[in-house]
Amino acid sequence: MPESLALLLSVAVFPGGVFALGLGLALKGVDRRLAARLQRRVGPPLMQPFFDLVKLTRKRTMIPDVACRAVFLGAPLAGVVAMLLAAALLPVPGLYEPSPALGDLLVLFYLLAVPAVVLMLAGSASGSPFGAIGFSREMMLMLAYEIPIVLVIVAVGLKTGIGRGEGMTLSLTEIVRYQRAHGAFLLDPAMWPALLAFLAFFPANLGIVPFDIAEAETEVLEGPLLEYSGPALGLFKMMSAAKAVVVLGLGICLFFPSGPDGLPGLAVHALKMLALMAVGVSVLRVSAGRMRIDQAFGFFLKWPLALAVAGVAAAVLA
Amino acid sequence: MNLISRISARSPWLYRINAGSCNGCDVELATTACIPRYDVERLGCKYCGSPRHADIVLITGPLTVRVKDKVLRLYGEIPDPKVTVAVGICPISGGVFRGSYAVCAPIDQYIPIDVNVPGCPPRPQAILEGVAMAIEIWKERL
Repeated sequence: MPESLALLLSVAVFPGGVFALGLGLALKGVDRRLAARLQRRVGPPLMQPFFDLVKLTRKRTMIPDVACRAVFLGAPLAGVVAMLLAAALLPVPGLYEPSPALGDLLVLFYLLAVPAVVLMLAGSASGSPFGAIGFSREMMLMLAYEIPIVLVIVAVGLKTGIGRGEGMTLSLTEIVRYQRAHGAFLLDPAMWPALLAFLAFFPANLGIVPFDIAEAETEVLEGPLLEYSGPALGLFKMMSAAKAVVVLGLGICLFFPSGPDGLPGLAVHALKMLALMAVGVSVLRVSAGRMRIDQAFGFFLKWPLALAVAGVAAAVLA
Repeated sequence: MNLISRISARSPWLYRINAGSCNGCDVELATTACIPRYDVERLGCKYCGSPRHADIVLITGPLTVRVKDKVLRLYGEIPDPKVTVAVGICPISGGVFRGSYAVCAPIDQYIPIDVNVPGCPPRPQAILEGVAMAIEIWKERL
């Protein structure tokens, strides 16, 4: 198979594209069902996110008179494409290693910032005051959580690099290979501060309670998504589903890529995502209330930042 | 009816409009019908904050003169196909406010109503049944 075709397949079918979307929507379904069960409800069917997506294709897309049409419709498309590309950049431990032509951890880090930027663009292009509030909240939150996650990536990169007797490694493939050979960072106490910082980062990046401040439906009526309807809203749903796969997958690659080779490895990978989703998203979501933006801003510049700095220090010294 | 319509009908998102209601029906909608015991989410429903996301519109209140224009404008913002449910006796006939100079009830003079759920306020079971009937009607329109 020629290289270009393999690249295209990895972005469009596996592990990006169809696979990432399907897995992301299935994870969302499990999350909704689990959250319902934790509240002693019956909850929606497991396939509910798929039903929602099909439904949205049948609705009319309405564009506000004051909106900037090109940005309003282009933003969600850019978000989905960025997330599918990011999913193709992530290794599936034991089964798939991304081609160096796609990029390394730095590219992935930039792609991870795209959904937040897209939400800001969408919010401001819609011309709605609620969108503008969502815009400013999303931006504050992003400024707060970007610094800890950079430091977490640096800590893991340094740890791997030093272990291999060189400087810092920014290749996720190398990080996964190193851990599969020398044991996962999850079991290394020196990496726990960085792990904790990551665990604080991912609910904020996924925009769930207690950090769903930008899209708070009871305060700012879903903020940037307020004016979206029909297929355009469906694109946002697809973006957030693929983003869940990317962020959870990143966590697994950085800290716990152990598991069998081949197809069983894929199953183990998906199970780990499911476990992380259940504990880190569903349980957190039903047991916490929403923070105010200033509280969240202060929180990220205090604890996750301190933990991430400690993580870098521990990775260098230990 | 094709497969896509059948699947789509399993994801009706609810939107509440308060057309000058006394809040009795809103309490039934917001808390009673949503609490674990009644759980509308098992029908695939979700309360949404934005009229643009709505499929099934739940209207409470007798449509007072002061909110009439706003309600009609809001109704226009909801993308088709949509189904309207009148919750409580007020939107149906005006209820205790019937004949008042301050209300425009019945509401179906201005907005096409598909399902009536009478009561003052209606029981949660009645609201859920109304939503289920609205889903059946919505299925035809998809």
